[in-house]
Amino acid sequence: MSFEFFFRESWTGFRRSGIMSAVSLVTITVSLVVLGAFLLAVVNMGNIASIIGSKMEIAAYVDKNIDDSTAAAISLQISQVESVENVKFISKEEAWNNFRSDYEGRLALSEIISENPLPNTFIVKVKTPQAIAAVAKKISNMSVIDEVRYSGNLADRFQAVLDLVRISGFVLVALLIIATLLIVINTIKLTVIARQTDIYIMRLVGATNSFIKWPFILEGVLIGLIGAALSFIILKFSYDLVVHELNGFMPFVPLVTSGYKLFWIYVSVGAIGVVLGMLGAYISVNSLLKGE
Amino acid sequence: MIVLRNVTKIYPKGVEALSNIDLCIGKEEFVFIVGPTGSGKSTLLKLLYREETATNGQVILDRVNLSEMKAPQIPFLRRNIGVVFQDYKLLPNRTIYENVAFALQVMGASRSFIRRHAGQALDLVGLLKKANCFPGQLSGGEQQRACIARAIVNNPPLVLADEPTGNLDPSTSWEIIHLLDKINKRNTTVIVTTHNKSIVDGMRKRVIALESGRIIRDQQLGVYSNVL
Repeated sequence: MSFEFFFRESWTGFRRSGIMSAVSLVTITVSLVVLGAFLLAVVNMGNIASIIGSKMEIAAYVDKNIDDSTAAAISLQISQVESVENVKFISKEEAWNNFRSDYEGRLALSEIISENPLPNTFIVKVKTPQAIAAVAKKISNMSVIDEVRYSGNLADRFQAVLDLVRISGFVLVALLIIATLLIVINTIKLTVIARQTDIYIMRLVGATNSFIKWPFILEGVLIGLIGAALSFIILKFSYDLVVHELNGFMPFVPLVTSGYKLFWIYVSVGAIGVVLGMLGAYISVNSLLKGE
Repeated sequence: MIVLRNVTKIYPKGVEALSNIDLCIGKEEFVFIVGPTGSGKSTLLKLLYREETATNGQVILDRVNLSEMKAPQIPFLRRNIGVVFQDYKLLPNRTIYENVAFALQVMGASRSFIRRHAGQALDLVGLLKKANCFPGQLSGGEQQRACIARAIVNNPPLVLADEPTGNLDPSTSWEIIHLLDKINKRNTTVIVTTHNKSIVDGMRKRVIALESGRIIRDQQLGVYSNVL
């Protein structure tokens, strides 16, 4: 009986404070969407970083045209460097052909680029991840090599960007959460003020403070729940769209699509919504119904 | 049942509503408190249901000193007091039945208990047929009866009525007073503030007259005014 009573009271309160409820709902939804988008971005970037970091390969580039025997000589020279497992040569033409066949039909490459922009590449496999930096340094010291890239330093750079995103995202989310909390506090405050007579009568007939508070707190939870549901719909729809678009456009970007990780992101975003609604209402009601 | 010892009430702005009141009201009494507006009648009732606390002195209800009562206990005090107001204080968006049932819901009573007791209370005040009406659909007298039904729905030993006939015409006022008298005869202490002379004179109950926060007369089988 009591729960039904409380729920009916909260629903009435929610409907009565119309515009303010809508404002809270929109704010909480926007905050949760931003939070969710941020979490999805971090998880995806982490995923990319770990995939990049796990590859024990170095790419050494030679820009000018070289013939097969020069290529073989350079390969031999590289393979003599300590800790190198093997060396594979991909010529300018081969790389270009591969690239073109990968993107056949999707990009009109010949319209964009007239001549082959790709360098000759030596793919160097290293025996242990620890040796990558040293091997890369030795190879880059060879006069014939124009540039050396390896996933280690790319992963490091990527990690640095990821850390930056994490910190700025954290600040943004914290600010959003505070703003949302304040707006929920205000909404519930208005509901409480609008229901002063009801509260007076409740007290008069002997309602305890907690009995008076519960409907308002539930109203906060209700705002949180609806906000969580709305943000879930928005997040799920947009993320699926982004994944679909990116897979068509940049299929090499490893996006997270596993149900498990996504499930936990959506669940935590929803939980934060409910907690925000409840906490806001609690703070509001406690400050207004102090003492008796 | 009710004892006031040397009670003074001064409001925060310095207005002295009651000064040095000594008073004793026994169980199952019917008492009129009379006096002009601002004489302290409503303040006296507010002290009894702990809407206000005395600045000085003791307000004792059933051996409990209300001045020392802690906030969490107040709801339980109020469940033993029915209060009736001049402006009824009914919730406008609830039916009469819901208004009466509300007082029991607050106490966490079961649905069947609520149905039975709310029904009995509405029957007692003669509003059973209008149980599903909203307050706005009822006359002033009917709303006042609904307010009384809410006050007595949990059979409190004490009913306080603050100017219950203030907004009503003479014949409806008599109906309300007879209803309160009927409640008093069911072993309930009833305290009524009023400045309705004809009712006080007609009922011949105990009359306590206040003026400027002091008791100027306390008379069994009293009348509104001794002047004349």
